Order: sequence, then C-alpha cells, then structure tokens
Amino acid sequence: MERVPIRSAGGLLRVASLSYLGVMIVLPLSALAWGAFADGLGPFVRRISDPFARHALFLTAVTALIMAVINAVTGTLTAWVLVRYEFPGKGLMNALIDLPFAVPTVVTGVMLVALYGPTSVLGAILGEYGLGVIYEKPGIVLALLFVGYPFVIRSVQPVLLEMDRMEEEAAATLGADGWTTFRRVTLPTLRPAIVTGTALAFSRALGEFGSVVMVAGNRPLETKTAPMYIFGEIESGNQRGAAAVSTILLAASLLILIGLNILQRRKGENRDG
Amino acid sequence: MKWALIGFVQLWFAILILAPAIALLRAAVEGGLGSFVRAVSAPEAVAAFRLTFGVTAIATVVNTVFGVAIAVVLVRHRFPGKAIVDGLVDLPFAVSPIIAGLMLVVLYGPGSPIGRRLAEWGVGVVYELPGLVLATTFVTLPFVVREVVPVLREFGVDQEEVARTLGAGRWTTFVRVTLPSIRWGLAYGVMLTISRSLGEFGALMVVSGNIIGRTQTATLYIHDEIESFEPRGAYAAGLALAAVSFILMIGMERVRARVEAAEHGD
Amino acid sequence: MAVTTFPTGRSETKRWGIASILAASAIVLTAVGGSGCGAPTRGAEVDRLTIGAYSVLREALREGILPAFARHRAAATGREVVFEESYNASGALTRSIVSGFDADVALLSIETDMDQLARAGRVASDWRATPHGGMITRSLVVIGVRPGNPLAIADWSDLAEPGVDVLYPDPKTSGGARWNLFAIWGAGLLGSDRADEAAAESLMRGVQRRVVNMDASGRQSLASFARGIGDAAVTYENELRLRERRLGSAIESVVPRRTLLIEGPAAIVETSVAKHGNRELADDFLRFLHGEEGQAILSEFGFRPLGAPLPEGVFTLRDLDGAAAIQRRVFGDDGIWNRMFTDRTEAR
Repeated sequence: MERVPIRSAGGLLRVASLSYLGVMIVLPLSALAWGAFADGLGPFVRRISDPFARHALFLTAVTALIMAVINAVTGTLTAWVLVRYEFPGKGLMNALIDLPFAVPTVVTGVMLVALYGPTSVLGAILGEYGLGVIYEKPGIVLALLFVGYPFVIRSVQPVLLEMDRMEEEAAATLGADGWTTFRRVTLPTLRPAIVTGTALAFSRALGEFGSVVMVAGNRPLETKTAPMYIFGEIESGNQRGAAAVSTILLAASLLILIGLNILQRRKGENRDG
Repeated sequence: MKWALIGFVQLWFAILILAPAIALLRAAVEGGLGSFVRAVSAPEAVAAFRLTFGVTAIATVVNTVFGVAIAVVLVRHRFPGKAIVDGLVDLPFAVSPIIAGLMLVVLYGPGSPIGRRLAEWGVGVVYELPGLVLATTFVTLPFVVREVVPVLREFGVDQEEVARTLGAGRWTTFVRVTLPSIRWGLAYGVMLTISRSLGEFGALMVVSGNIIGRTQTATLYIHDEIESFEPRGAYAAGLALAAVSFILMIGMERVRARVEAAEHGD
Repeated sequence: MAVTTFPTGRSETKRWGIASILAASAIVLTAVGGSGCGAPTRGAEVDRLTIGAYSVLREALREGILPAFARHRAAATGREVVFEESYNASGALTRSIVSGFDADVALLSIETDMDQLARAGRVASDWRATPHGGMITRSLVVIGVRPGNPLAIADWSDLAEPGVDVLYPDPKTSGGARWNLFAIWGAGLLGSDRADEAAAESLMRGVQRRVVNMDASGRQSLASFARGIGDAAVTYENELRLRERRLGSAIESVVPRRTLLIEGPAAIVETSVAKHGNRELADDFLRFLHGEEGQAILSEFGFRPLGAPLPEGVFTLRDLDGAAAIQRRVFGDDGIWNRMFTDRTEAR
C-alpha cells in the first residue's frame, strides 16, 4: 500500500515548536557565541590559549577519555553479567544502576571525599604510597565514573536482551570457546550500543561540575577541570574568558553528539520522510 | 570464569555505587530519625524543596507539551533543515550546566540588550525565578523528544491514516491514536525530565544568586549546608532528594519492563 | 505491526488540554510572578530588606544581627522587618550584584570587591565615608592546626615545609582567599629588612605548593578542615572563635608572627534601594551594624572591635600600599598568582 504523504501542513505546530527551540536553544547559543567573540577573534584566541584554559581543557578531555574507556569495559561487563547470569543481589544491583541519575551531584562529591578521601582508611593508606585519589587527578576520574556508570550499561542491556542467541550457540557447537564467541559473535552486535553509551558518558563527563568540584582539589594547572575553570572565571568577573573557553568545550561535546547522530543515521534508523 | 566476572562486576558496583549510597544513608540518619526529620523540615529546607518542586513542575510540563510537539514535527513533517532541528534538540546534552548558566546570564543579564529591556519592564530573569525555570527547562529539553521520537517512528502512520479515513480530525487522531501509542516512551521521557530537574545544580550556581526562600533550590540548599557547622541537614536533604528521584527511577524501570514486554509481544 | 485498539480518548484529551493550558499559564506566571517578588505580600505593615553577605557572616547575621535589628525596628517604628538573605562567596556575591541581584545591603569580605561594586555603579563611590572607612568587621588571618599542633607550625614559612598539607579557598571565588594570600605576601615582604618582593613571592609559592584543595569559599574550606582534611588551614580568627562557641570544641590556631588585619566592608546598594524604596531602612541597618549593639553582637560571633589598637605584628593593607595596589600586584593579569603556576619548576 502506498504511503499517503504525511502532513506537510500543520503550520501552527511547526511554528510553535520551532519558536520554542529558537528561544530556548538558538538564542542562548548565540548569546554565548556573542559573548565569546564580541571582542574579536584575537582576544578569543588569546583567551583559549591561556595556559590555565588550555590545561583545564586538556585535563577535562583526558579524564573524560580515561573514564570512557574504563566505563566501556566495565559497563559492558556489567550489562553482560546482569543479562546472562543469575546471582544473589542481582535484583538490587539492577535497581541501583540508575542511582547516579538520582543522587544530586553536589552530594556525590561529598560522599566520595568522605569514603575515599584522606580521612578515610582507604584514602589514608593510598596516600601513604602517594596513590592519593581524592584531591588528585584519579579523584576526578572516580567522580566521572560514578556519574557515567549507567550510560553504557543501559545502552547495552536492551541489545543483549533482544539478541538472538542462535549465532552464539552455533559458534559454540563449532568449538569456539566463550571468549572467542564473545569477541567474534557478540561484540560486533553490541558495538553500536557500546559506542553510543560511551559517547554519551564521555559527553556528560566533559561538562560535569557538581561532583568533580568537590573531589578534584581545584589546583590551577594541576586539577582544575574546564567546567571548574569556567566557573572560576565567571565568578571573578571574566565573563568573556568564560564564554570563550565554554565555546571550545561546547564545540567538542557537540562534535561527539553529531558524530553519534551520523552513525545512527548511517545504520538506516532514519525512516521518516 | 563466570563467577570471576560476576565477582568483579559486583565489586566494581560496590566500590563505585553501593558504598557512596550507604555512606549517604548513614550520614543522613546519623543521630536518629528524629534529627533527620528535623533537618528536612527546617524552614529553609522546606522553602528550598518547594522551590525545586515548583521549578521542576513547570519545566516538566513545558518540556512535555513542546517535546511532544517537536517530536511530531520531526517525525511526521517534511521540511528543509530537519537535521539541524534534530541537532538543536540534542544540544543541551552537549552543554555543561555551568555553560548553560553562563548562556542565560549573558543573554538575560544586565549586560545584554534583552536584559536591559527586560529590566526596564521590571522583569527579572537572572537571580529570579524565571532564570531558574529557564535553566532547568533548558537542560531537560531533550528528554521527552528523544524518548518519543523513536516510538513515534516505530508506530507508523497506518493507524493515523485509518483514523483520518474514518473521519477523525487531526486533533482527535492525535489524542486518540497517536498519544496512546507513544505513552510509554512519553512517560519515560517525563520521568527522566523530572529526575534531572530535581538534581540540577551547576546552572543554578551561576544563575540563581542563592537567595534563601526566593531562589535557593534544594540542591543549592544542600550546597550551603555542606559548609555549615552541622552538615547533617545537607545529607538529610540530599537523601530526600535522591529518594524522590530514585522512586521515580523505580517507576521508570516498571515502564521499561512494560515497554519491553509490549515489544516482545508484537 | 499489531493494530492497537482505540482507547477512550476523553480522559487523554482532557489531560492534554489541561497540560497545554498549564504550560501556557506557567510561562506567563513565571515571567510576571517571578519578577514581582520584591513586592510585599502582606500589605503595608511589613518592611523588606534584602541582604547579600559573604558566607562567613551567616551565623552572625541569621542568629544575631537580623533578629536584634528586627527588634530594634519594631521598637522604633512598630513595623515588622522581613529579610531576604543570600550567602555566598564574596566574589560570587559581587558578581551577582553587578549582574542584577537586588540586595539592598552588601556585606563583602574585602574592600576590593566593594570597589568593584562602586565601579559598576551599584554602590556609591564614597562608601568609605563612615567612621571606620566603611568597615564593619575586623578579624585576623590565622592558621588552624590539629590538636596539639603535631607539626609544630608557628609561622607562615612552616606551611611551605614538605609534608604539610595546607587548605585555603580559591581566590577566584572567595574574597577570604585573597586575604590569605595578601597575608602571606605581606608577611614575606615585611619579614625581610627591606621590602623584598622575591622573598614574598617565594613564600607564596612555597605555601601554594602544599595546598591540597581550594574550596570555593572560606567557610567551605574550614568545613573541609573540620572534616579532617589537611594539616593546616589558613583561616580567620572569627571563624575559629565562632566554631568554638557553637560546637564547644576548639580548633587550635596559631597566630603567625606577622599577620594581616582583615576588615570587611558593608554598603548600601544604591540601585536596589532605589528600586525597593527602602533606603531609610537600609540606612538604619547600616547604622545598626556600626553601632554599639551591632558591634557587640559581632564580637559575640568572633569579630574584633573596630578601632581598637592593633596587636604586635599585625599589619594592614595600607601598610602594603593599599588594597588596589596589592590586588593588582598579586591578582592582576601579570600578577604573582598567575605566574606562580605557569613558572612552576618543581612539582608538588
């Protein structure tokens, strides 16, 4: 049956929706760009090449990347274990996966400091060996791992649940061991979901503030991340500098999301006219 | 091997998620249930929670209505530049909350033409309630759209066509055919919106001014209390906020289970 | 795909109708209601005063000054005063007032913040024209240590020793942090026979190298210390006195041989009182802060009396060429603060 052309009228709906997006998204975005470039390209470049800004951006990117890689592995493993195995405590774990979405970030930071900071048993021991976590760079990764925890799991879980086990079973009968089966049969199916979840976690990590600000130590050129740097510049009256660095951070996150969109489109998920 | 994996996953979970959750629980109820209740019913805490719930309600309603509208436009309409619109909707995911707050301050603060004009008319945005609502609405904008769009796509136009053939108008078709089909995706999106709104912090740090009773939300109250001499109020409020969100999460899980059951049933 | 049954859409229609009306009214109400917040709701019997104060003043205001002032007003005018308060790091507060936060009275932690408000036209340029140069609080920069002072910290140079973990807040957001750094700078400068800037800078670098965490505000920094972080916290005498009074337990402190006098300014925000029409109330409040009762309350909360002679070894910003000059020297674009990090040769 031929598809009846779908509405290209319905003007009011479109106008309302697009106006909403215009006011809520385009306008603030333009304001940011204006704030960043209002003084010209020269000052913009100067502000983003400021050693403090550069380091903050670099630190943010690196910690987010480390978190993303760890999360990709542990998240996939967790999803696998949750879907394929039965074990005591499974129900509780499954229910608590989304906890990082529920806990306000400001609380997360304080809890992590209390648990793993220099006043805790673990933190004190680690500190003795120079392996301090809280108030050092690993603390940043720890906080990011907490807030990013659900992304890969929740992305991979549905795919695992829906997966047709026949191919895996076929591989097993052909003599492949568990790991080989996983690597050559399961993983390719999971890959898009892993990539999506990881990219989302990475994007979130680039912008994370509430939890990181409590655990990072806030030392310029050491443990000050980009959102913390931007916040400091806003608070000390350097709105233009804050806007400039924000533009860079925003552009990076945007590129990732656009990349994700393109990937999903290419998979043929775009079925509307 | 299997048990090694399970053990590792559980250990990771325990270190990363369970331990902080238990620490929060303990810190909040340290001193007994009575002190917890007292902390949560302190006037500033109550004011902060009321404000948070109010702002969340507004942001959720607005983003639900417009979210569905945008989803319909994205999926059912044909017009140039749709990919751009798609990207715009996702933008808040790419924006750090601090940057979101900065955007609003630059746009509506006294340094901008819009801000100055609004000030002339006596309308305050930054450091007033509208700023909180705008910030929260901005960061939660994509949720409903993203959850409804795939469901709307799946659903297909066939039944809408049938309804139209039977003489139903556009609105009736929407309400009686489209909406019910997207309801689980919609519910999930709404719950995500609420949960995220309750916990918004970074943007509010920039936009709110932290005025007790006027613009101090629950998260800002928690932030204030953490640095006070008796931080128990912070942990109690933090637990309360997390509990509300968490109960919504559990609700979400039920929705997800029903969605998956429905999909498997097809 | 399975055909879904047509639901009874009536409740859904109603729900969506209500939702759209709610959304529309929400937007309208928000725009109108939010900004109308300054208007008194209980009619003409209530006066409103909006106060922006830096975080350390929280208890002193909420528990001492504000109730006492309300009593004073009730006795003098028979009217109730309702306060709106915002407590924040001094830098954050300054920024928000510049950006439009309509505090009627600003109580900041350092005069350079107040000068910033004056430059932005929020505060009168002659805000210093009161008996004590516009200041209402006085305190000292001191070093908080662990019980028994196990690391035998006696002076600033001890904070630069390896193995000492130091806490102080971030000068980007905290006015108090700037006091700390000025104190260290000044001590280094005045500690040598001639004003040796190199020695001062070296002292500052040495201490910063030992800093574990820079919290956003002075209060937050002390809270971290109280929670067990660090061996020494650069903090304010009044904070420690208050802590002792409130919690019964004292944090031991060391007053370095040379330290800085902290003076906190307060002024009326002209643009806000013009908007709210409560200038007389704001004036009265400021007078109260300067007056005997206000000062007595402040000293209960740990502050020193204004105008008393300075103890031995205490210097002021004026001894360092004034607040503006030292602000430029330390925190200017080519200031020592920025250089301290970019010229670092030694890791922590």
